[in-house]
Amino acid sequence: MNIGLAYDMARFEEKALLQAARRLGHTVSLIHVPNKEFWVTKPDSMSYDFIFQRCVSYYRAVSSTIVFERNNIPVVNSLNVIRDCEDKLLTTARLSAAGVDVPDTAVAFRREPALNASRRLGYPVVVKPIYGSWGRMIARAPDEETLQDIIELRENMQSPYIKIHYLQRYVDKPGRDIRAYYVWGDVPVAIYRVSGNWKTNTALGGKAEPAPITDELREIVIKSGEALGGGVLGIDLMESPDGRLLVSEINAIVEFRNTVRATGYDLAGKIVEETVRVMRR
Amino acid sequence: MPELSCPVCGGTMAVPEDALAGELFEHGECGAQLELIVDDSGSMSLKMAEEVAEDWGE
Repeated sequence: MNIGLAYDMARFEEKALLQAARRLGHTVSLIHVPNKEFWVTKPDSMSYDFIFQRCVSYYRAVSSTIVFERNNIPVVNSLNVIRDCEDKLLTTARLSAAGVDVPDTAVAFRREPALNASRRLGYPVVVKPIYGSWGRMIARAPDEETLQDIIELRENMQSPYIKIHYLQRYVDKPGRDIRAYYVWGDVPVAIYRVSGNWKTNTALGGKAEPAPITDELREIVIKSGEALGGGVLGIDLMESPDGRLLVSEINAIVEFRNTVRATGYDLAGKIVEETVRVMRR
Repeated sequence: MPELSCPVCGGTMAVPEDALAGELFEHGECGAQLELIVDDSGSMSLKMAEEVAEDWGE
């Protein structure tokens, strides 16, 4: 197949996908998004069978995907999947509606309703921006006084989305969370992200270790992936003290360098093989 | 390996033949984070890498 690889930074993941696709006999065209012009009103003569969207910048990913889809080229992941996964509120709403266990979550737009919701959630609570990644701007409030300080800071920030107070009951994890990969209905590999920090993101120093894919994990990951529209996803889960697995976030432009290092699993090869299989249907 | 000029310190830096546009390198001499630029003719150069932005992530 003729595969496009749209990206802005060439990281481990982009090089791994490039090498895997070439090894499997496909032609890969690199689309370095920041250096290209994209015409919206004139149909382009793009001839890709599909494009992997790999921009680290969300807005570059969404904008270039709009143009690719305008030219009737399938993009992995699609515009809707990328957009829905970026929005934590929308992700939680989709998961909850699909019957997937998520942390108790409320949203409020001003201080008083945020404090009222947090009293009902019970402290500690976690306040997240609805957009963002790598654990940025996520804060934990052990009590109401701290939450008031956090909300005051947020109310004095310029971005309107920061004033959307997405509040979750804090889940007391066992020093780790789980990152599992959903690849077109399959769950090929998962890791624990082990950390002394309550934020276990590997971007913040969490250490990757292989995790078993239990029947329960597989079922939840598949249900979550389907709720967000499928494709290739990174699904983050927390083990709650009452023994349930709660889905915290879904990532649509997944990083997997640490997963490959910890498990030796050829995830790039799996992503290419499964995507080609789906595109040939 | 192509020898390119560092836009920060003016020193030279060797870049692998198979490096991709958008690949990041740290210049050993000055510590600058640099991004490889490849123009339409295939000519390579280095520029300072972008700072991590608010919309970067997974």
